[in-house]
Amino acid sequence: MPNKPLLLRVLDILSIILIPAALVLILFFTPEEATMGAVQKVFYFHVASAWAGMLSFVVAAGAGIGYLTTRDFKWDWLSLSAVEVGVVFGLVAIASGMIWAKPIWNVWWVWDPRLTTTAIMELLYLTYFILRSGLNTMETRARLAAVYAIISVITVPLTFLSIRLFRTIHPVVIAPTGSADFNMSPRMLVAFFASLVVFTILLADLIWNRYRLAALQAKINQGGN
Amino acid sequence: MTGFRRYLQTVWAIFRKDVQVEWRGRQGVPVMLVFSLLVVFLFNFALQLSPQLQSGLASGLLWVTLAFAATLGLNRSAALERENDALNGLMLAPVDRSAIFFGKTLSNLASTLLVAFILMPTISLFFGQNLLKPALFLVVILGTGAYTCLGTILSALSIQSRTRDVLLPVLLYPLALPILIAASEASRGILSGQTLGELQNWLYLLLACGILFTATGLLLFETILEE
Repeated sequence: MPNKPLLLRVLDILSIILIPAALVLILFFTPEEATMGAVQKVFYFHVASAWAGMLSFVVAAGAGIGYLTTRDFKWDWLSLSAVEVGVVFGLVAIASGMIWAKPIWNVWWVWDPRLTTTAIMELLYLTYFILRSGLNTMETRARLAAVYAIISVITVPLTFLSIRLFRTIHPVVIAPTGSADFNMSPRMLVAFFASLVVFTILLADLIWNRYRLAALQAKINQGGN
Repeated sequence: MTGFRRYLQTVWAIFRKDVQVEWRGRQGVPVMLVFSLLVVFLFNFALQLSPQLQSGLASGLLWVTLAFAATLGLNRSAALERENDALNGLMLAPVDRSAIFFGKTLSNLASTLLVAFILMPTISLFFGQNLLKPALFLVVILGTGAYTCLGTILSALSIQSRTRDVLLPVLLYPLALPILIAASEASRGILSGQTLGELQNWLYLLLACGILFTATGLLLFETILEE
């Protein structure tokens, strides 16, 4: 196994520095939201981790297409890494949402369509691992996992479309102008986009590291040299 | 043109084969039917339904029961191809694999619709709400169409796994979520007296699911079955 690529080292260091930096930005730079108070600050990492989760599922499907067209196992490693990291980000999004919901809605969980579908989406990607574990050969595992990742990415937008047809109590952040549920001040916007960028860097870093682990595992399974 | 005719003939041959096997063995539909009736009755106990609640729950009950029953049928139909290596025989046939997909989807749809059409008057009878409305039949056909389409794709995936008997529902339910949401919302609307025009968003969503999953099967079925 070659040494860590330089770019990956840079990403590692960037993630280590930028996550606390974003935290400082959120805690000390942004104003407190008028009605919700300090708990609103969960929002920045909540949306950022939801975004990172979604992005990694798209990466997983893209890598699935890559595998099916090239039949190179590297794509399968990438797809697996993206799903694994995406599931973690999804859990972070759900957990941080619950922390926000307790003081605001007075319960940890509401059976709102948006929350319920997000939770089911999380289960959908957990099933990805169940599917993989039941398949015997490396080739079948890679092929069917790729198919499943692709089908999943087709359904998820449909699900989100379907919940747009419901009335939801979940705040809508990205909405047509004029109908925004809450307006962000310029400082809030800075922290919001900074969190998105930082989480995207962290996502790339984690997927890449996980990919290297998958490559190492494959090497060991082949008898290593 | 002749190529397309041959394609349709293949689809028809696979559909006919499945129907014939079912007719002679009667191992799929009766099981689905008895199972779905059991679910209907168990629901009543499990939820301790009062008469007022019963009528409101009819559409949800219909779709949950159909979703469960269809899984049994899909599993059975996939297991049929595994027995005696029938699947290898199908794959050796010099035909387009997507024709196999359409044939299997049609036969799965036929058995699920049969169950649905028996289930609807049954629920009407026992839950005191008339489900026999033309608009509801349309929703049931659209919903089960999209559902069996997706189910057929996923059953081809799950039979290749060691955990094949239990894997299909786990794969299918979360992916079928948009179908189930749209179908049960549309059914609820119809039963509470809304017109199809008011529910067109849900119907379009069902249609979109059907088209998308048909396209998915068309494109990916070959990849799923290759060995």
